Amino acid sequence: MAYAFLESSITGRAGTDEEYWKGLADGELRLPRCAACKKWMWPAHHRCGACGSWELEWIKQEPVGTVYSWTRTWYAFDRVHERAADVPYVIVVAEVACGACLLGVLKGREDGLKIGAKVRGIIEPPSEKSKGYPSIRWALA
Amino acid sequence: MSKFRGNTAIVGIGQTPYYKRGTSPDPEMKLALRAIVAACEDAGISPQDIDGFVSYGSERNDGQKLMAALGTRELKFGGLVWTHGGGIPGALGLAANAIIAGQADIVVVYRAMAELGGQRLRVAVWQNDTPSQYLVNGLDAPAQTCAIRSQRMLEHDGVPRSTMKALAQACYYHARNNPAAMGHNITLDDDTYDNARWISEPYRLFDCSRENDAGAAIIMVSAERAKDMRHKPAYLLSAPMGCYGEWGFGEFNQRPFGATSGFQSVARRLWAESGYEPDDVDVVQVYENMTGMAVAALIDHGFCTVENAGEVLTYKNLIAPNGRLPVNTSGGNIAEGFIHGMGLVPEAVRQIRGDSTNQVPGAALSLMTGGPGDSMVSSALLGSIETL
Repeated sequence: MAYAFLESSITGRAGTDEEYWKGLADGELRLPRCAACKKWMWPAHHRCGACGSWELEWIKQEPVGTVYSWTRTWYAFDRVHERAADVPYVIVVAEVACGACLLGVLKGREDGLKIGAKVRGIIEPPSEKSKGYPSIRWALA
Repeated sequence: MSKFRGNTAIVGIGQTPYYKRGTSPDPEMKLALRAIVAACEDAGISPQDIDGFVSYGSERNDGQKLMAALGTRELKFGGLVWTHGGGIPGALGLAANAIIAGQADIVVVYRAMAELGGQRLRVAVWQNDTPSQYLVNGLDAPAQTCAIRSQRMLEHDGVPRSTMKALAQACYYHARNNPAAMGHNITLDDDTYDNARWISEPYRLFDCSRENDAGAAIIMVSAERAKDMRHKPAYLLSAPMGCYGEWGFGEFNQRPFGATSGFQSVARRLWAESGYEPDDVDVVQVYENMTGMAVAALIDHGFCTVENAGEVLTYKNLIAPNGRLPVNTSGGNIAEGFIHGMGLVPEAVRQIRGDSTNQVPGAALSLMTGGPGDSMVSSALLGSIETL
């Protein structure tokens, strides 16, 4: 399939998470681990620093986790101005089963938001707010 | 025995005034030149004698672009330390290493910023290091990424919020005595701090550093050369840079996370190389992009623990001249002005010289910590001749 987010590709850091976005575009949360030693690696990188393998495999994960930390943003910052009308909005860092901490904008109720609270990920299609990328949003379970 | 410890010194400091962002009468490169020339005048040397240029982060005024205006005779060394504000003390270390290795004799370390070009400082300093994971999820500015760290420090690790307020109020207290500070006329009482608008929780307005146009520079030479110069030298005792293996570009996956700004390994090497420990330090310029990050940096350096941070990091303890741990005695990034943290370096030197506007009496050991939470960090301990 054609992945729309590739049309609006954002560059920065290692640039190794294309498969993550493809997973979300396919409606799945897929996270990388080393194909040789099976060590989870997030953020993804080009090589496994533990065993030296150059191969990653992307494994489907249940999009559930707990709140690791969060912030409620009250200011429409320069490069995320598409969300100006949403201010204040909450950004959650959620820890999922394999240990990866993933960002997502909170969806739904804020009551009960605290570190350790259970969250479920909802995958949303590309939008202007998410800069043409599919995204995962976390909702308090 | 360290080949580094005490073998170089800062002998000149120079700064332009701080301007409200976007209002500098001079373009950025001229601000860099004005700061460098001022540092040379302070040191009593000719700008033509500088043979090394060092900076950090996204500094765009490379030494070779400045040569014609300085009358440089020969450029022998140049370098930019990686990362953002985390690299400032590391830049002092790079300059010192060049001098100790005999690659250069008189090295300037400098930073200049002006928003005249239209780009906000908070964007410029990121150097396009913002990954898709951030921008897709509404995350852009350092205020937000730091907020996520500090929220965990407060909520999970239990460091009290009072530490953040104490730090902000100490900065503004010091700015009251510093006529050059942008926050000179502001009184940050409890009401003003507590009721300021939210930026990104847990940060309100006064938890966040400013953005200004200005330049700052320091001149570094060998300890041997420093002896005969005009000012009391501020010797560089240690300036390690780095981080441990699970830090780096973690996008919130660094461990540990929360009540740390990534300095544990750097602090350990700083104390080991210098031969001193936190209790020996007289005054600290702690880089506060945001208050909570500075609190974590002080914990990392061993000035307090997660458990006793609330008792140690009080307003009374953080102010000069009589506090137990005076910090940011010129007002710091929050209350004096912010050009990517570089203004903290000349103040660390003034404390050794004895001419700060908030002088700590008899200050002999003066610490400056780099941008907290950066993917790589650094710290520098300066000392008077008695500390060698």
